[in-house]
Amino acid sequence: MIEQLVFYSLAAVAVLSALGVVTMKNSVHSALMLGLALAAVAGVFALLGADFLFAGQVLIYVSGIAVLIMFVVMLLGRTYDLHLRQVNNQWLAGLLICGITFSGLWRVIGLFSESRAHSAPVPGTRLLGRLLMSDYALPFELISLILMASLLGAVYFSRSERSQSSSTNP
Amino acid sequence: MSLAHYLFLGSLLFLIGVFGALTRRNILGILMSIELMFNAANINLAAFNRFLHPQGVVGQALALFIITIAAAELVAGLALVLAIYRNTDTVYVEDFNLLKG
Repeated sequence: MIEQLVFYSLAAVAVLSALGVVTMKNSVHSALMLGLALAAVAGVFALLGADFLFAGQVLIYVSGIAVLIMFVVMLLGRTYDLHLRQVNNQWLAGLLICGITFSGLWRVIGLFSESRAHSAPVPGTRLLGRLLMSDYALPFELISLILMASLLGAVYFSRSERSQSSSTNP
Repeated sequence: MSLAHYLFLGSLLFLIGVFGALTRRNILGILMSIELMFNAANINLAAFNRFLHPQGVVGQALALFIITIAAAELVAGLALVLAIYRNTDTVYVEDFNLLKG
């Protein structure tokens, strides 16, 4: 009973704030709504018993990515953006694509309507750490390489013009 | 609660993200919609892990990798957006036509 209450309230918050992300005119409001949606998804992870994912979602997404997007939105924002249309004129086609995809997914979801959890969730952080250090050691190291590469790329792309010209003509 | 409830929530979030990525004019709006899609996929992975394979954590590990790659993608993407904005002075995707002849 309490699980249903928590699930439906989290799902309502997630879906409504996601709708806010894609429909709001003001990008700052969109970014705030994104933070709310990500927090609701973190709650769904907690409900599913994925404790480490819950903590990672809060740390990385809600307090990292959402704040980063907010910074960039405020850097690139203009006051006249509030008077411009934020949605292109293909929204009907987009809605159609989403509807058709949903009707296909709905038939797949129907297959799992009887599968229920038989046991209470167990904390998985210890298992996750063992997995990442034994079977998934290579992907784990590759991920660190990808993070390094994206960090270098971000620094390279966001240099200002002045430092670029000074580095090419020492 | 059955698995279908969680899959329904995940697919709803995913399709909202698809709709946003298809229809937003602002490049930042498109990036935010892509983040919503990543989260929907993560909900699906965690739910399948909980309901169909409750004794392991492989689905959670995969979701953790997705979170990490999403962070890397977003950092590189935002740096690119800043560079494009510095060159074109706009954030609307229909104005990104520098490569047009």
